[in-house]
Amino acid sequence: MLLQQIINGLTLGATYALIALGYTMVYGIIQLINFAHGDIYMIGAFIGVAAVALFHQNFFLTLATAMLACVVLGMTIERVAYRPLRRAPRLNLLITTIGVSIFLETFMTVLKGPQPTGFPPVLKNVTLRVGTLEFSSIQLVILLVSVALMVGLQFIVKYTKIGKAMRAASEDYDTASLMGININRVISFTFAIGSALAAAGGVLVGIYFNSVSPYMGVTAGLKAFVAAVLGGIGNIPGAMLGGLLLGLAEVFGVAAGFSTYKDAIAFTLLIIILLVRPTGLLGRPIQRKV
Amino acid sequence: MKKYKVALVLLSMLLVIALVAGCGGKTGTSGDENKGGASGDTIKIGFMGALTGNEASYGIETLKGMKMAAEDLNKEGGVLGKKIEIVESDHGSKQTEAAAVVQKMISKDRVVAIVGDPTTGKTKLAAPICQQNKVVLLSAGAVGPGVVELGDYIFRDTLLDAVAAPAVTDYLVNKLGWKKVAIVTSTNNDYSVGLTKIFEEALAKHNAQIVDRESIQDGDQDFSAQVTRIKQARPDGIIFTGYYTEGGLFMKEVRKQGLDLKMAGGDGLLSPVLWKLGGDAVEGSMVYTGFAADPANAAPQTREFIKKYQAANDNKLPDMFSAQGYDAVMLLARAMKEANSTDPSKFKDALAKTRDYPGVSGTLTFLPNREPVKSPVYLLEVKNQQFSIKEALPTEVPKA
Repeated sequence: MLLQQIINGLTLGATYALIALGYTMVYGIIQLINFAHGDIYMIGAFIGVAAVALFHQNFFLTLATAMLACVVLGMTIERVAYRPLRRAPRLNLLITTIGVSIFLETFMTVLKGPQPTGFPPVLKNVTLRVGTLEFSSIQLVILLVSVALMVGLQFIVKYTKIGKAMRAASEDYDTASLMGININRVISFTFAIGSALAAAGGVLVGIYFNSVSPYMGVTAGLKAFVAAVLGGIGNIPGAMLGGLLLGLAEVFGVAAGFSTYKDAIAFTLLIIILLVRPTGLLGRPIQRKV
Repeated sequence: MKKYKVALVLLSMLLVIALVAGCGGKTGTSGDENKGGASGDTIKIGFMGALTGNEASYGIETLKGMKMAAEDLNKEGGVLGKKIEIVESDHGSKQTEAAAVVQKMISKDRVVAIVGDPTTGKTKLAAPICQQNKVVLLSAGAVGPGVVELGDYIFRDTLLDAVAAPAVTDYLVNKLGWKKVAIVTSTNNDYSVGLTKIFEEALAKHNAQIVDRESIQDGDQDFSAQVTRIKQARPDGIIFTGYYTEGGLFMKEVRKQGLDLKMAGGDGLLSPVLWKLGGDAVEGSMVYTGFAADPANAAPQTREFIKKYQAANDNKLPDMFSAQGYDAVMLLARAMKEANSTDPSKFKDALAKTRDYPGVSGTLTFLPNREPVKSPVYLLEVKNQQFSIKEALPTEVPKA
C-alpha cells in the first residue's frame, strides 16, 4: 500500500517536474515567469492526440512529434510576443505571458470544444507485479521517459557549449552578451527545451489520465510553478525535486483522506517552504555585487 | 500627415455609423420586449442549461426535447390560442453564469416558466430567483434532495434518486451479490453528495457493508491514490455517485491498477462521454435512469416520441434528457390549459395536481409536496460501448 502510493506519487510528480523545468530555466535566464508555459503543455498533449488519431504514430514517434511541434511553438511565441518587450518593464512582459496563455486556451476551445477528449490507445496497459506490489506499464513508461529527459537535460546544460552559454547567461545576462555569447540564441534555445519538456509532459499525462482538454494547462501550470518555487526557482535539480515532492505530497494527502483539499496541499506546502526557506529547497540566496 | 487626417475622418464616420446602427438595433429589441411574455401572442418558456462545457450533453438533449414539444403543440394551434416559444440560453456549465442567465430570462425575455437546469446544483441556484419573481421552474433533470422545498413555484419531472437508488440497491445486493461496497463521492458536486447519502441508507437497509469511502472532486484527473485504497478494501463493487467525465476516468484507473470491479451509479453517468474516456474499462458499468429508449416495450406515446426523434436526428435514439425536456414543456402546457391562464401563479396549482400523467419518459404523479414519483426505473449496462437495458425495476412510492 505504501510503496504503491509512492509509485503513484512519483508518477504524478515526474509530470509536474517536466513542466517545472521549463519555468525554472526561463526564469533562470531572463527572470520571467512564463505563465503560458502550462498551455504549451496542453498544446503538446493535443498534438499527441492528433499524431495518434490522424497518423497512427507509435508512442515514441508521437512523443517526438509533440516535442518538435512545441519547440517551434515555444520559439515562435518567444520571438513574436516576448522578444520585442525584452527591454520593457518586467511587468509588461509578465502580463504578455498571461495574454498568450489565454490566447492558447481560447484557440484550442474554439478548435476542439471545451469537452475533454480521450487519448486514443497508443500504449498497451499491462499490470506489472513485483511481489505484492502492482503497478501499470504506463506508470513505468512515464517514470522512465521523464528520468531520461531529465538526464538528457542535465547533460546538455553541463557538457555542451550551448549549455555553458545558458549557465553564463543565467549568472549575468549582460556580461555574458559582452563576452560574445549570442544572447538571443541562448534564450531561443531555452524556450525550445522548456517547451519540448512540457510537450512530453502533456503527452504522458494525456496517456496516463486518458483525458486532454483546453484548460488542463491551468492547474498543471500552477502546480508546476509551485514545484519550481519549491525547489528554488532558477535551479534545475530543484525543479525536479520540487515536482517529485509535490506529487508525493498530493498523493499522500489524498491517501490520508484529504481529497477535498488536494489542490490546497500544493499551496500550503509552498507557503511553508517560503516561510522557512525563502529561496526554495535548493535555491541559493542571490548576491548582488555593487 | 494628410493620410492620417483622411484616416481619422473615415474612422470617426465609421464610429458614427456604428453608433446609429447600435441605437437602431436597441429600439428594435425593446419594442419586442413589450410584446413578449404572456401578454403577447406567444408564450415564452425559457431553457436553462449548458450547451457548452462539462455538462453540455445534458443541456443539448433537454433543449432538443423541448423544441420537439413546442413544435408539436404549435402544430395543434398552440396553447390557449398562443404559440409556444422556447427562449434559449447557455450558462456554459458555470455556476457563476447560471444565476445571471436565469435573471436575464425573467427580466428581459419575460418568460412565464423555465425548464431546467438538468443538474441539481444549478437548479437549487435558480430556484430562489424564480420563486421570488413568481416564475415556474420545472427542472427536467435535477434528482438530488432539497429542490422542491425551495418554494411552491419549483417542480421537477424526473425520477428521483430517493425512489430509484433503493430499487437499484436491492438489485445490486440481492441479485448481483454485492455484500461489500466501496462508495466514491465527488465532494464539490451537490448531486453526488446527496446521492451518496441515499445509497448509504439503502445499503444499510439491505445489510450490505460499506468497506471504503473515497472522495474525489469534479475536474480531478488523478485517481491513483483513491483506487489504491479501494484495492486494499476488496469490495464486490463500486458505487460511483459523480458525473460521467470523472466516472470514465476513474474506471480507467481501476483497470490500470489491475482491479476487476464493476461500477454502478446514477444518471449522472449517463453520457457517451463515459466510454469515450473510459473505453473498455467501463464495459459492464451500470447506470440507472428514468427513461430508456426501448421501442419494443415502450408505451404508445413513448414509441411515437422515439420515432419522431429518430427521424429528426439521423436515427439516433433519444435519451432521458430529451424525453424529460419534452415532458416538461407538455406538462406546463397541460397545466396552462387546465388553469385557462398563462399566469404562473395560477397554472402552478394546476401543475401540482398532476396525477398519473402518461409522459414519454414514464408515468408521473406529483405527491402533495410536489415531488414526482415515476415508474419504472431502468438499469442500463454499458455493452460494446453502448447503453443497453439490463433490467426494468419497479419503484415504491416513498412516504411523503
